[in-house]
Amino acid sequence: MTRHAVLTADDHRDLRIRTDSSADLGDAVMSCFTVPLEFRSLQHRFPILFRRNEATGAFSALALLGFEAGENLFLDGDRWDADYKPMALAVQPFLVGRSAGADVPSQIHIDLDHPRIATADDGTLLFDVHGRPTPYLERVSEMLGDLDEGYRSSGRFFAALERYDLIEPFFLDVTLRNGSSHRMVGYHLINEEKLLALEPGAIAELHREGHLLPIFMALASLSSLADLIERKNRAEAHG
Amino acid sequence: MLGGGAAATLSAGYGSRVMSEPIKRIVIAGGGTAGWLSACRLAAWSKAEKRGLTITLVEAPDIPTVGVGEGTWPTMRRTLAEIGIDEADFLRDADAAFKQGSRFDGWVTGQANDSYLHPFTPPPAAPDPRQLLAAWRRQGDQSFATAMTPQPEVAAIHLAPKQRGMPSFAGALNYAYHLDAARFVAMLRSHAVDRLGVTHVADRIASVEGTDTGEIAGLKLGSGMNLPGDLFIDCTGHAAILIKGHCKSDWVDLSSVLFNDRALAVQVPVAARSPIASQTISTAHKAGWLWDIGLPDRRGIGCVYSSEFMTDGEAEQTLSAYIGESIPDAGDVQPRRLIFPTGHRRHFWAGNCLAVGLSSGFAEPLEASAIVLVELSLQALIDNFPADRCAMRIIGRRFNDLFTTRWGRIAEFLKLHYVLSRRAEPYWRAHRERSSFPERLSELLELWKGQAPSSYDFPLAEEIFPAASYQYVYYGMGGTLPPGLPEPAPSLMIQLDQMKQRGRALLASLPSNRSYFDGLCSGAPNGREATA
Repeated sequence: MTRHAVLTADDHRDLRIRTDSSADLGDAVMSCFTVPLEFRSLQHRFPILFRRNEATGAFSALALLGFEAGENLFLDGDRWDADYKPMALAVQPFLVGRSAGADVPSQIHIDLDHPRIATADDGTLLFDVHGRPTPYLERVSEMLGDLDEGYRSSGRFFAALERYDLIEPFFLDVTLRNGSSHRMVGYHLINEEKLLALEPGAIAELHREGHLLPIFMALASLSSLADLIERKNRAEAHG
Repeated sequence: MLGGGAAATLSAGYGSRVMSEPIKRIVIAGGGTAGWLSACRLAAWSKAEKRGLTITLVEAPDIPTVGVGEGTWPTMRRTLAEIGIDEADFLRDADAAFKQGSRFDGWVTGQANDSYLHPFTPPPAAPDPRQLLAAWRRQGDQSFATAMTPQPEVAAIHLAPKQRGMPSFAGALNYAYHLDAARFVAMLRSHAVDRLGVTHVADRIASVEGTDTGEIAGLKLGSGMNLPGDLFIDCTGHAAILIKGHCKSDWVDLSSVLFNDRALAVQVPVAARSPIASQTISTAHKAGWLWDIGLPDRRGIGCVYSSEFMTDGEAEQTLSAYIGESIPDAGDVQPRRLIFPTGHRRHFWAGNCLAVGLSSGFAEPLEASAIVLVELSLQALIDNFPADRCAMRIIGRRFNDLFTTRWGRIAEFLKLHYVLSRRAEPYWRAHRERSSFPERLSELLELWKGQAPSSYDFPLAEEIFPAASYQYVYYGMGGTLPPGLPEPAPSLMIQLDQMKQRGRALLASLPSNRSYFDGLCSGAPNGREATA
């Protein structure tokens, strides 16, 4: 159930949002949406993978948090066990609302049925007594802006990857210490060999369009797969 | 039946003690806040360090405790942790609430907007305190405290200093407690007896038995039982049965510095869910001041005054006028009258007797110095626990030096609240007579015309009030700024700017004092409904 409303100081002056982490608050997810401009912040902790939308054929990026549906290995009970929380999770329960025309400024919407809506005063206010946004809302608003901008520019990023044929399907067999194995399928990533074989002109073009940095960040992020598998091993051991 | 071992201990004869014999048997006389805090701290320490102390507390079953000291300092958090009491249990059982400082209303001019806060959170660290003043002057007409910490704004709207998820004794801002002294004592008593192995004897002290050398051999109780010991802690309050009665330690009178000698105290029940103030509110009146301490169940309100400048009747009127204004539906309340001396013992430690609490001294509760002095006395005792009688003589002398200095500091700091006033009533004018100033305070006031209160003024490792406290009071009351302030360092301006941001975040995310407390009492973990 979702119930969206446009966020305003008048309507939501006393509203408080739970900003802690837990499964009850909607954090138990195995992956979350991300955009190329977030890759740098993610790459030291979270594997960045791509997925193709079956219907539209469009690619999007995601940060991998676990290996099965509902599994978030960065969630340790009621504690977020990492120095960074991906923006798509950190902005919950807010989203960008956009009216029809592209020139109309976007608004912040809120899902009033989200479990993060606090029922007592154990959450963070969105507006101060003067109706000005609190630092929390300012931060959410920045992240929503980044996600929105990132989403709108990610089409060009994936178009460039496809232009140079740099995306390839990927599967991963994860064998845990307890002998069980998981096969990850349906994901894509960047073909490193093809990337390194690109002629200087192509590299220069990717660089000029601002794609080179996120490409290497996405490649670098794959080294955090080992850490994620280790988290899974620990979780199974304590399971 | 009393166990044989206990009976043997309690009735052992006095005999002559060898000098090198270790200090093992602690007898605490009196069971108020001082007595039970002493029992808990010493027993918990002995247990943790395997000192093998036996601790016996004797209290008369029919003596009421004074119970004025309902405000603590932040030190209480460490004390409770040392004793092994959980913060949530303490808040519930002692009907306690968070205290983030003291607000002083009407102390400078007595007019409507005359108010300043002495918050517990210190200003940012600056090598030169003039930097703080320079940075403050850049911030428009904000008060010094508001420029230095978000605490005044947080306390002004009755917020707690911590979020519900934060662990025991940790806060986003520095804090202490307001508490119900009677319930606090009951909690300490059961903790001491049930958990820490303290022996509780409910009996009155009939006489103090001395040794040839003038020390205390034991206490003779009303039942005829003898209670021998190696170290006696006098927590008998103003009666000071051991330190004054037996040890004849003189009284050092401070009433020429601090004039108040009486108080009227009431407790007014408050409505469920009403806001709980996050600070002690001290409101000046024509010949003293009123305290107002908010607890979850009640407010403790009192009128402190000088009998030389105000009659009991006037004080009663002052008190009921205040209550009528701040709690209109309070109804009729009967105040309890207290008469108190201001001063301290010349020797807090005499022979094998240590006075802790009101037996050692008393000052008006303007900066809640009563309970913290108990804590500091116990800390000093534990940090220098005498191995034997020989060591005790040296340690006792040093203790007396330290606490004589501390009492001097308390008198100076409390007096500071009066000397900066511009009120015109005779009482306030008398407070500004130079002849009533402690000498050191006169010197400091002279210095502070040209420089800011700094750690050079408070150079001891064991200072009771930091320079920050003097800064808050001195500049809160409009004390003169030194001339020629430097340019504030860019790093300090950045720090203060970050502090402002943090303040905004705290205002948005801290629960109210009331809802923090109600959340504890609803029994749900972290104050919210547990989810299945």
